[in-house]
Amino acid sequence: MSQPEPGGESGGAQSAHEAGDAQSLRIDRRTLVKGTVIAGAAAVITSKKTAVFGQSAQSFGGSPSTPAPPALCATRPANSPATTPFVDDLPIPLPALPTLLSPFPTKAANTNAGEAARDAHQAWDAFPPLLFYHSIAAPSLHKFHRDLSPTYLWTFNGRYPGQTFLGHYGLPSLVRFRNSLPIDHPVPAIPEISIHMHNGHTPSESDGFAGDFFGAGLWKDNHYPNVYAGVDQFGGLGDPREAMRSFWYHDHRAEFTAPNNYLGLNGQFILYDSKDPGHELPLPGSLRLPAYYGVTDIPLQLHAILFCPTANGRTEAFIEAAVPAQVDKWIINGKIQPKLTVRRRKYRFRILNTGPAKEWNISLIGSDGLQKPMTVVAVDGNFVQNPFVVNNRTLNIPVATRYDIIIDFSQFAAGTSVYLREAQAQFVGVPTADPAPNLPIGNVAMRFDVVNRELWFPADTPSIPNQLTAMPDPIVPDNTFTWRFTRDGDPLRFRINGQVFDHNRVDHAVLKGSSEEWVLANDVIAGNWTHPVHIHFEEGRIVSRSHTNRDTDGNIVSVDNVPLLPEELGRRDVYRLPAQDRLVIRMRFRDFVGRYLIHCHQMNHEDDFMMVRWDIVETVEELTRKRREIDERRMLAGLPPQYGEDAKKGRLV
Amino acid sequence: MATLIPNALFRTHENEEVRFYDDIIKGKQVMVMMMYANCENFCPLATKRMVDLHHQALAHRIGKDLFMVNVSLKPEEDDPAALEAYAQMHHALLPGWTFLTGDRYDVDTLRYRFFSHDHIGLDEDPEQHAGLMKIINDPAGRWFHADVFASTRTVLEHIQWSDPPKPLAERLEENRKLQERIDRDRAVYGFRKIA
Repeated sequence: MSQPEPGGESGGAQSAHEAGDAQSLRIDRRTLVKGTVIAGAAAVITSKKTAVFGQSAQSFGGSPSTPAPPALCATRPANSPATTPFVDDLPIPLPALPTLLSPFPTKAANTNAGEAARDAHQAWDAFPPLLFYHSIAAPSLHKFHRDLSPTYLWTFNGRYPGQTFLGHYGLPSLVRFRNSLPIDHPVPAIPEISIHMHNGHTPSESDGFAGDFFGAGLWKDNHYPNVYAGVDQFGGLGDPREAMRSFWYHDHRAEFTAPNNYLGLNGQFILYDSKDPGHELPLPGSLRLPAYYGVTDIPLQLHAILFCPTANGRTEAFIEAAVPAQVDKWIINGKIQPKLTVRRRKYRFRILNTGPAKEWNISLIGSDGLQKPMTVVAVDGNFVQNPFVVNNRTLNIPVATRYDIIIDFSQFAAGTSVYLREAQAQFVGVPTADPAPNLPIGNVAMRFDVVNRELWFPADTPSIPNQLTAMPDPIVPDNTFTWRFTRDGDPLRFRINGQVFDHNRVDHAVLKGSSEEWVLANDVIAGNWTHPVHIHFEEGRIVSRSHTNRDTDGNIVSVDNVPLLPEELGRRDVYRLPAQDRLVIRMRFRDFVGRYLIHCHQMNHEDDFMMVRWDIVETVEELTRKRREIDERRMLAGLPPQYGEDAKKGRLV
Repeated sequence: MATLIPNALFRTHENEEVRFYDDIIKGKQVMVMMMYANCENFCPLATKRMVDLHHQALAHRIGKDLFMVNVSLKPEEDDPAALEAYAQMHHALLPGWTFLTGDRYDVDTLRYRFFSHDHIGLDEDPEQHAGLMKIINDPAGRWFHADVFASTRTVLEHIQWSDPPKPLAERLEENRKLQERIDRDRAVYGFRKIA
């Protein structure tokens, strides 16, 4: 079976008309028995027919056909073209296949062979990679709907969404990201990439730092140790209570993150362990959640696009100076208003909002028009301690947030349908009756068609345990640090602690092994700015949330404590920060050192420099030097210092 | 990209009529900023910053393969004479640097096309203008934006990013040199100093 060609310059771009058809799920008994997924991608593929997905194997390799560049729409269309709902099956992103890489990956950057300059892999000796993947960024065509002509996208290995990496704690892996994007390109994206696996506990040189992008013709190895945080403290693989399970990988090139992601440079990444092993067998330690990837454990990757039909027989994604915030087609796994046949049993859905700017508010609606329960088991990839049910409100999903939810379809009769509702309506364009009472068609993102479970389909899993995990030990912080998110200054810009992003400039330094209490303050006074704040590398625990009420002159009237929602009680890495809210979180900084980021993940804001670099350092000398330099620079820029005298001398407090 | 750039008529500070795309942008690499003559906040600072950059690092390029353009945010107030006075006051009457005024509609179109936040509340209010510099490389179809108040190194880096893409061999060589600097920093300081 052919595999992606490693080392080749031209990459493996695949015209998507094949991908679009072949990705429709075809489950039958033979493919299911052959393709049962145990942890690790290698086990999935057993024959020439990529078994589980009915996918023909020549989807990799073969001669790439680079699509013609897009003809941009000169003016913004009033709406996307009309599309008929529920004609496409929900595609399942293929698992990425391990491969052999040539040249073989090395600890130091192999610049002679074209690897982008980087630090040596700091975790190489402790966790040498055992599984290798090749992911080639190149243009391709993708059909978002049966009724739309193909769209020009930038994708990994020719597919949108990108392939899902299925990994396992304790199995370090390495992904070679190759840049085969066109040097001359007519879109306001840029053919330079830096791939971030959100929110892996990843050494900085493999974390896709926004300033570490590389151009067409180069490649870069990202080393993923696949360990839990707390290796230094606990030894072995770290603290299993720090397990994260649902991640995503995406381009993070400074100032161009929004267009590069809008055009499709992202995909999901899953890590299994003994608690959540990727199968439903009753092995010791397993929580026995629905777990067969693509069968009962299904990714739902959310995107939103404004389309315009163009003269060259395509339907392009409209893009201008900024990625449009007024988009009007909701897309799941690369299709508009898809449908999925589900059996009457529990399913797990890994919901991911790829933005670039849109926030989602979802709920499950039955054919009677009433809301139905969804059980949340993981937030930002972290198991919640106690699963909670969402059945009388919407679930708010800011950009980059992930939710793992379980829906029990046995509560519905076979032959009925259930709908995933999004609070903001999309433009459908084809007059369609409400699919359920009080549910306009524009509010439906996808449809689930319930059928009885066939005998060969995996039997339902046991009830969801009341406790999924224990929380790690409470964090006792050494220090407090405040991140103020504002829109002020002269010129008027989004700023973090008075600064805008400059990848050459470090704005906070912490010592490896220490912990801090971080206050995230949205001090934007006028206007209604909600920022989904994202912090790389470590998950945080929310301590409290407060809201400041101001009078018309901007003076503080009162500060109210805001009760935390159930989704805020566990570990998170994307923090929703509405205007005048203040979140107190606690973080540790463990195991690895280097440059990391904190930023608003609304990608248009992120590209408008609403991002700041912070470093984890190894030694007190480096900490002292960097903190002194930070305050000197701030003083020269007319900003107040960030550190007291003690902090500058290297004492943590 | 060409279709996104308006081709309206503008007047320069020397009272010449020009078409925006055909005469100012086409085939060139241009840095575009907005200002207005009576500005009392950051426009003078931004202009001064551009003058400094011009003298320090870009003199050999401005007017040859790199150009600077300032467009007035208040075209009703700023006629060519006002723009020339502003430029004179800030020592910005330099080769390759043009100040433009024109129709309100055309200026707004430019602002929407180049500097929009795609947020109606922001985009319609000229007071919310972000003060970014847009760097357009028309032949390569690349658009960048830079913060003029960043360090000289960072601003020059942004301009360099917009330069015509170099051949692969040259970029590989630059990559090797960057690796050498990283390795040297590690050896000397123990950490990455150059960023």
